[in-house]
Amino acid sequence: MAAPTQDALTQLSDALAARAAAAAGLVASVHPPHSRPRSGILWRPDVVIGSEQVFPKTDTAEIVFADGRHVAATLVGRDRGTNIVALRLETPVEVARPAAAEPELGGLALTLGAAPSGAPTVRLGIVRGLGPAWHSLAGGQIDRRISLDLRIGHAEEGGPVLDAAGQLLGMSTGGPGGRALVIPTSTIERVLDPLLAAGRIERGWLGVALHPVALLPDAAQGFQAQNRGLMVMQVAPDGPCAKAGVLVGDILVAIDGMPASRPREIARRFGPDSLGRQIALQIIRSGAPQTVMATITPRPQG
Amino acid sequence: MNDPAPQPAKRRVLRVAIVTADPVRRAGLAAIVMEAGHAVSDDAAGADVVLADGVAPDAAARAVVLGGDDENQPGLLPRNAAPEQIDAALRAVAAGLTVRTTQTQGPVFDAIPELEQNLLTPREVEVLAAIGNGLSNKAVARQLGISQHTVKFHVEALLRKLGAASRAEAVHQGLRQRLIEM
Repeated sequence: MAAPTQDALTQLSDALAARAAAAAGLVASVHPPHSRPRSGILWRPDVVIGSEQVFPKTDTAEIVFADGRHVAATLVGRDRGTNIVALRLETPVEVARPAAAEPELGGLALTLGAAPSGAPTVRLGIVRGLGPAWHSLAGGQIDRRISLDLRIGHAEEGGPVLDAAGQLLGMSTGGPGGRALVIPTSTIERVLDPLLAAGRIERGWLGVALHPVALLPDAAQGFQAQNRGLMVMQVAPDGPCAKAGVLVGDILVAIDGMPASRPREIARRFGPDSLGRQIALQIIRSGAPQTVMATITPRPQG
Repeated sequence: MNDPAPQPAKRRVLRVAIVTADPVRRAGLAAIVMEAGHAVSDDAAGADVVLADGVAPDAAARAVVLGGDDENQPGLLPRNAAPEQIDAALRAVAAGLTVRTTQTQGPVFDAIPELEQNLLTPREVEVLAAIGNGLSNKAVARQLGISQHTVKFHVEALLRKLGAASRAEAVHQGLRQRLIEM
C-alpha cells in the first residue's frame, strides 16, 4: 500500500493548492465606486490591470488585496481592443509576478479571480484551444488565441491564469458563450506602457459598418477572381468614409488594390501605424466600379 | 356545479424569500411577488425559492438572481426584469429548472467574424436591413422597388441561409452578428 503522501491524486491536489497559495499576492479585488467589485492582477508594484469590457466608466477605484490591504487607485488607461484596463495605485505594493509562459494545448490552467474581500477564487481548467494571433472586434491585435474549457463570470474575469508550473499565461477574459479566453502576457506587456503613457491605444478607423456579401460573377467587374465583398451598412457622420463620399449600399471590394473580402485581413491594415495614411477604396456602386480616397483617422473610444 | 365558467388550473402559491440590502428595492420586489400570487417569506432556508438582488445568499438554495453573473445559480435575470419574467422564473426555478434570458448577458470579447459559408447576396442584405428596421414585406417592396413576391422569396432565402426560424431571429443572426465596424 502506498503511503497517503505518495498518492498521485493527493499530490496533484497539494500541488494545485500550493500554486493557488503562491499566486494569492497577484490577485486584486477592484472596487469601482457604486458598482460591483471586479477581479484584477497586480501587474507592477503600482499598476493593477483588469478586464476592460466589464469595468464601469469611472476614474477611481479602491483595490483590496488578499492580505486585507486597501489601496486607493486611479484609472490611467483603458483599451477596448485588447480588453485591458489599467489602474495606478497610490501606494505601491510589492509583487513577485511569475515569469511569462507559453500555453500548451491540453495543459492545466489555474484561473484565479478575486472575491470582494480580496481573497482569491480559483478554477481549474485546461487550455482547450490554441491559435495564432487574432484581431478583436474592437481592432486590437492579440498575440495568440488561447481558450480555456471553463466559463467565467463577470466578477471573476480580469484575474491571472497560470500554467501547471505556476507561470503566468495571461489575463482571463469572458469570450463567446461565457467561455474564458486568455489575453497573453506578451500582449499585455506590449500594450501596457503605451497605455499608461497615453491613456488609450489609438487604432485606425474608416467609420463604416460592413456586412460580408457574396458577389455575383457579373457584379464583380474588374475583380473577377473575387466572389465576395463587404457591403457598407452604416457610415459614421464626419468619419473618414463619410468625408470620402462612401454611401450606404456601396460594396467595398479592395483597399489599395488588395482584396477586401476578408475582414480579418483588413483589420491588419488598421494598426496604430496606419493613422493619417491615405488609402484607395475600390467599391462597386450601382453595379459600376469606382475608387475613392480616404484618410485613416483614430478610432473613437467608447 | 354552480360555477358556469371553466376555471384555469389552480396555480401553485410559492413561498418566496427576498434577499436585498435596499429596503425600497425589497418593497418593490415584494409587490411584484405578491401581485403574481405568491407569499413573501422571511425564512430563506424554508422558502420554496429565493429572489435575490445581485448576489444569492447560499449557492445551495433555489434562487432567482437579478443582475447577477454567477453562472452556478439556477435563475439569472437582468436587474430590470419584467414582473412576468420574475414570476415565470420563480415558478421554473422552484420546479427545478434553469432560467436564462435569450439576450446575451453582458459583454463578450471576441474575434472579428470570418464567414466562409452562407454568404448573403447584396439584395438579401438590403432586405435583411429593411426588416431589421421593422418594415413589413409590403414596405420593404416599396423601399427597394421590387415586388412583394420577390421580397418573400428573399426572406425565405434569408431564413434558410441563416438557419433562422423567424424574421427577428434572422435579423439577430445576420445583421447583429455579422456587422463589422472598421
